[in-house]
Amino acid sequence: MRLWLDAMWGIIRRDAILFVSYRSQLIAQFLGPLFSITLFYYISHILTAKSIHSPGGYFGFVIIGLVIVQILTISLGVMPVTVRQELVSGTIERFLVSAHGPINGILGTMLFPLINALFSGVLMLALAAIVFGLPLAGTAVLAVPVALLGTLAFMPFAFFLVALVMAFKQASSASQFIVAGVAIIGGLYFPSTVLPGWIRWASEVQPFTPATDLLRHLLVNAPLVHPAGLELLKLAGFVAVLLPAGMMLLRASIRYGQRSGTIAEY
Amino acid sequence: MSSYHLSAPISDPDRAAGSVGEPILELDDLYHRWKGPKPPVLDGVSLTLRAGEVTWIGGRNGVGKTTLLRLAAGILLAQRGSVRIGELTPLSKGGRYRRQIGFLSAGDRSLQARMRVAQQLDYWGRLAYVPRERRAELVADSLRRFGLEEFAARRVDRMSMGQRQRIRLAMAFLHEPRVVLLDEPRNSLDDDGYQLLNEQIEQAAKRGATVLWCSPRGEDRVIDCDASFTLSDGNLEQVA
Repeated sequence: MRLWLDAMWGIIRRDAILFVSYRSQLIAQFLGPLFSITLFYYISHILTAKSIHSPGGYFGFVIIGLVIVQILTISLGVMPVTVRQELVSGTIERFLVSAHGPINGILGTMLFPLINALFSGVLMLALAAIVFGLPLAGTAVLAVPVALLGTLAFMPFAFFLVALVMAFKQASSASQFIVAGVAIIGGLYFPSTVLPGWIRWASEVQPFTPATDLLRHLLVNAPLVHPAGLELLKLAGFVAVLLPAGMMLLRASIRYGQRSGTIAEY
Repeated sequence: MSSYHLSAPISDPDRAAGSVGEPILELDDLYHRWKGPKPPVLDGVSLTLRAGEVTWIGGRNGVGKTTLLRLAAGILLAQRGSVRIGELTPLSKGGRYRRQIGFLSAGDRSLQARMRVAQQLDYWGRLAYVPRERRAELVADSLRRFGLEEFAARRVDRMSMGQRQRIRLAMAFLHEPRVVLLDEPRNSLDDDGYQLLNEQIEQAAKRGATVLWCSPRGEDRVIDCDASFTLSDGNLEQVA
């Protein structure tokens, strides 16, 4: 276990070294969210929506959506690109010939983007509270375990994208499609209740809607449509079903590449 | 090579000491065919690599040497036949199998361009499950053995091709693997680098590892090999 943790820490440290070596990335990661928040802060001033019942108005509602979009963009967007870079630069070979192995290695490459995404989400909330006076609820601390559970529920989508990269060598368009789709059906920018009936069912069969609703409730005191316990149960159910399925898919894509010989191709 | 008893390597701390000539890596009836209307690149290849021995495999470009090395390293899985180190195979107990392997691919890839040389070796030591208490010592030792001490703090993408090849070789040997698989290791090396490589191969053989060197031609005449083969039409032929 200690050797496994040492290896995982080695991968996180490697990715942190690479990240900070490109200094413009650090600045962009701070300025990007600030611009998004500013934009929606002023949009919220001209909006009076009856379907928004959040105490902070539309700004309080959309800020949680923005945080989740930021997390999804950094995690789902970056992970397949990172793994593709590993293929192109040949650094994935280090995982393939190491005791740590390809599955653990690829899981390791997902950790830094995930930590970075969560940090970025917290930064956005802090900016919204400090600069724009967003009133955070007293239950905000409880959002931490929910965010972690939500992250576990998002991970299978990352596994799916990475499995696509391992099998077909490209998946960047698929990640954009997923983030855009989640933004629509997950109620990130507007409540999913305003969607037409024929598509509204989609907001109930993926983990993003309960995660978003719970986080909104805990962070800005937005009322819940369903009881919190039921939303938590839904989220845990998605984790229990999707996480093993995502892992199996990732493992199968690596085995396919090793058997066919395409694992070293890019 | 003379017979002597060997110490247990760091790559397999559970294993008792062995002796020269003991089989380590066994490739049996390996078959691999790439997609398309082409004959198999490997068609029933069998080879046993023994402790303390150096083996060379030659053959023309594209004949299947790299495929054979990748199968032996566990990067590729055999379409038919088996690859094993004792009871370990790349599929069953794959982590322990790979822990025994030191691998150098052909070319100049598999380096983290923006990491410093010492960081790169430490990173590899972690992936190779080198225990924490020995990692710093082995990294320092690898830097010294491949003449990289003065470049320890330099970024990899600011190194010459020959220096990068030394880093890649240092990674192949760092964790004291029982099986060292080298694909065209002389690439870009100067005379000093070549000398250092030969010394490391000799030391690896002395501690009971087995070394397999693949290159298109010629090395069996300049390195001290215990066995030489040519790969052709999917089969290995021993060179007299």
